[in-house]
Amino acid sequence: MSSMVAKVVAGAGFTVLAVFLSLRLRLGLAREIGVAALRAGTQLAVVGALIALVFSYPVLSFAFVAVMLATAGVTAGGRVKGLPRARLRALISIAIPALGATGALLLVGAFDFTARSGVPTAGILIGGALAATTLTGRRLLEALVDEAGEIEARLCLGDAARAALQPSVRKSVTTALIPVIDQTRSVGLVTLPGTFVGLILGGASPAEAAATQLVVLLTLVAVELAAGMLLAELTMRALILPGERIAPLQIER
Amino acid sequence: MAGRDEAEGMRARDVGVTLGERRVLGGVDLRIPRAQVTGLLAPSGAGKSTLLRALVRLIEADAGSITLDGEDIRSFDARVLRRRVGFVAQTPAMLPGSVADNLRHGLDDLTDDALTDALHAASLDEAFAEREADELSGGERARVALARALTRGPELLLLDEPTAALDEGAAKRIGETLRSLCDRGLGICVATHDRHFADAWVDRREHLQ
Ligand SMILES: Nc1ncnc2c1ncn2[C@@H]1O[C@H](COP(=O)(O)OP(=O)(O)O)[C@@H](O)[C@H]1O
Ligand SMILES: [Mg+2]
Repeated sequence: MSSMVAKVVAGAGFTVLAVFLSLRLRLGLAREIGVAALRAGTQLAVVGALIALVFSYPVLSFAFVAVMLATAGVTAGGRVKGLPRARLRALISIAIPALGATGALLLVGAFDFTARSGVPTAGILIGGALAATTLTGRRLLEALVDEAGEIEARLCLGDAARAALQPSVRKSVTTALIPVIDQTRSVGLVTLPGTFVGLILGGASPAEAAATQLVVLLTLVAVELAAGMLLAELTMRALILPGERIAPLQIER
Repeated sequence: MAGRDEAEGMRARDVGVTLGERRVLGGVDLRIPRAQVTGLLAPSGAGKSTLLRALVRLIEADAGSITLDGEDIRSFDARVLRRRVGFVAQTPAMLPGSVADNLRHGLDDLTDDALTDALHAASLDEAFAEREADELSGGERARVALARALTRGPELLLLDEPTAALDEGAAKRIGETLRSLCDRGLGICVATHDRHFADAWVDRREHLQ
């Protein structure tokens, strides 16, 4: 317990230091840092309490995961406004791969079938799928505008609408996958990732921490790939009209 | 179908187009017969580009009828329609790769001779085949876009402001190119607000009000 108090006090101390430096150097960040720290404190306290509740009443894990999914869907949807029915499509693209992979990991026994294992696993995979969905969607939106001439040229040369869109779609998915692939490639070299650090701090053996980190990273690559591809596919279907035409985007950027 | 005019080509009757909320075209008639150069003349903003796009179904007309040799264009597979009726945009986008890649796009069995023929027909030297398409000038791109449409063996060609970015000499070359294509039986429609070009090269005129 005393270590918990020490953690909060130390964190607050560093916030005070950062605020002091920012005032001293007139960076104009003092207020922002203070607000961010308060928000982080409040949010984590609430999440901690909620998770404690979930651990006491495991049925609540489903509600908790549902809320995470809904938040992710709204967040991703908001970032790719302009794609038709963005929120619903983002939600589907996040939910199917993240929940599917969570289920698979629990089923094969990689993690215990408990709220304590299931909720964080779902959380990390939802987070990855959210990032991939957002990146794919944003890149796809840009491509549909920037490459409109090329897409039209392909249609005029007799390509089907799907074929005309394919190069832009493929590029948007590959771009979205770069961060997670980089992260996987460089794990342990540049930084120690969060899962690993958390487990070590929590008292797990280094071997156990490494294995857990590995399965999380490799699952993330597949989940993010699936999420990006799903969003791209759903968007492409929405954009293709009868007569090999492509719907004009309703963009408000 | 008896006695169908071989020169029939494309015909639009009472065509209307709405883009977003805007009624961009309404009650438009147009004929593009084979073996002639038809000038589609109107000031800019009148809807020439919109009409040409509707003729190849990049945009769907919501009123009237558009036919190719008497058949509604919606009865064709759009991919076939767009090969039979080539459309060259005002500032055509080049596809990645070489000029040859552009001409061969979607045509796995295009022969080298056919590729050279298309380049020549668009007044391009065959040495252009190996050039990177995105390094070309505006005038060269316009001709590559024309050659690219020609490799599909079209019966009609629709050109949107083909002389907009060109000097007088280059415009004259485009005019000569169109003339010779037309002599081979192609029907050509040129949307333009360039009166000089129209006076020099157009056989018949259609006006967009
Ligand atoms: N996507 C669009 N949405 C709404 N209006 C459009 C759109 N594209 C073109 N327009 C309008 O339609 C009219 C005709 O445009 P256009 O066909 O490009 O004319 P032109 O080629 O004769 O200059 C213009 O007033 C233009 O502003
Ligand atoms: Mg125009």
